[in-house]
Amino acid sequence: MRELAALQAQFGAGLDAPASEAGALELFVGETGQARQRLAIYRGNARANAARAIAAAYPVIGKIVGGEFFSGLATEYQTRFPSIDGDLNEYGEAFAAFLGDFPPAREIPYLADVAHLEWRVHRAHYAADPAPFDPARVATLSPEQQLKLRPQPHPGCHILQSAYPIARIWEVHQDTFSGEFDVEFEGNLTNALVYRPRFRVEVAQISDAEAGFLAAALGGETLETALAAAQSRDVSFDLGRSLNEWVQSSVIVDFKLNGE
Amino acid sequence: MSLLSAPEGNAAVRGVGIGLRACHYREFLDSHPQTDWLEVHSENYFGDGGYDLHVLAHVRSQYPISLHGVALSLGSADGVRATHLAKLKRLIDRIEPALVSEHLCWGALGPRHFNDLLPMPYTSEALGQVVSHVGQVQETLRRRILIENVSSYLQFRASGMSEYAFLAELAKRSGCGILLDVNNVFVNSVNHGFDPEQALLEIDREAVGEIHLAGHSAEGELLIDDHGSRVVPQVWSLYETACRRFGRVPTLIEWDTSIPPLDVLLDEAVIAARHSQAAYA
Repeated sequence: MRELAALQAQFGAGLDAPASEAGALELFVGETGQARQRLAIYRGNARANAARAIAAAYPVIGKIVGGEFFSGLATEYQTRFPSIDGDLNEYGEAFAAFLGDFPPAREIPYLADVAHLEWRVHRAHYAADPAPFDPARVATLSPEQQLKLRPQPHPGCHILQSAYPIARIWEVHQDTFSGEFDVEFEGNLTNALVYRPRFRVEVAQISDAEAGFLAAALGGETLETALAAAQSRDVSFDLGRSLNEWVQSSVIVDFKLNGE
Repeated sequence: MSLLSAPEGNAAVRGVGIGLRACHYREFLDSHPQTDWLEVHSENYFGDGGYDLHVLAHVRSQYPISLHGVALSLGSADGVRATHLAKLKRLIDRIEPALVSEHLCWGALGPRHFNDLLPMPYTSEALGQVVSHVGQVQETLRRRILIENVSSYLQFRASGMSEYAFLAELAKRSGCGILLDVNNVFVNSVNHGFDPEQALLEIDREAVGEIHLAGHSAEGELLIDDHGSRVVPQVWSLYETACRRFGRVPTLIEWDTSIPPLDVLLDEAVIAARHSQAAYA
């Protein structure tokens, strides 16, 4: 007896596509025209819920392309990548890949990279809260031991590299932004850092040396290796100043010795 | 079932509460709005950490909390997803809520999730499956949960019993409680043509552990359960009937679309308390 499974499969097919709704319509009480209208309400609800989730995760993309185009993108995205999780905050991960692959969206060349950035911002909002850092724990170590420490980035921390100034694009589209609305496209590779001091997710453009250091830290490397990565990009990289800044802004939230 | 003899979860939840939504976070962080308890949607707090959980932990220290899930999909033929249930359990362990509830509906199908409260066929086969899923959830969570009746726009030909008879039987066989959404009973009574007062009689007096109230809208002859307005007079009247039948059950004001200033929700809660008192007078 698998009647429930068969019924849900038919209902689901009808929800996903009006072209497949004939089987679903036979399931319901009442005349077909009314059932069709009411099934369309469910279809609309499912689509609206997923579209709201996409809009919540990608507010900057929404501002760049405008409401009408954005809702077209959200509809197309849902067809290609339907929701699979009961938690809609998890929905939309493939949006950047979709934008990079969907010809109408590719007319704005930086759109996919900005979407990558927005997904990281969105997920950083839900990242774990690190325990407060106690500098006394590492202050007593010798300089040699300190170099063996592994800097621990915040769980929401991410670095994205792009051919476009995505951190600046993100910045000028924030509701709180009050500066000059201009973005210089110089054609250089840029590095965007996603971080979360306490609860508000921030984005900053960082140098190649900083990105080299943090990428090494994100990869679980030691301070020594991360420092070498930074210095290979910029010999004048100031470790003390950078570390101080990163600890202050919760980019780095702890240092661990091997085996910790 | 011995695990259900664990301390009754709703000991701390009394009176009338409101649904906590993100647009009102600030007021709950900065002051102490007068409400008996708060309910949140569980899935909004499934993250590892961050602001939403921070706010929830804060209000948990001030008010009894009810976790209301919208996506466990207890009615799916595929069963309950272990990953979703594990996230719910993690949240319950963190917050230690007074109440935990879900819906009598389905939303997941194979790998897909429709993120909606889809109606069930009320058949004995479906009942057997939902009883088993609720049992599995209660065992994993080690507590009793409440199951809510949903609003619906379609009914299945296959159904052999009413939604309320199904829910009553589910409660008997699984040991779960019922979260009676009075607005949903009214919406369905109009959409499907039955007497809402009679529907309440199908549910046992002691089975209801919580009541939901909300507004709805109309699209032609169909009522849409959009939780976007005040409770209508017919639903207040049905609520009084429910109070007389089910006793002093904790009641919640839900508002999910076109969310008004907090004062409007608090005012609606005061009106609910008045109706509840009128029912006992």
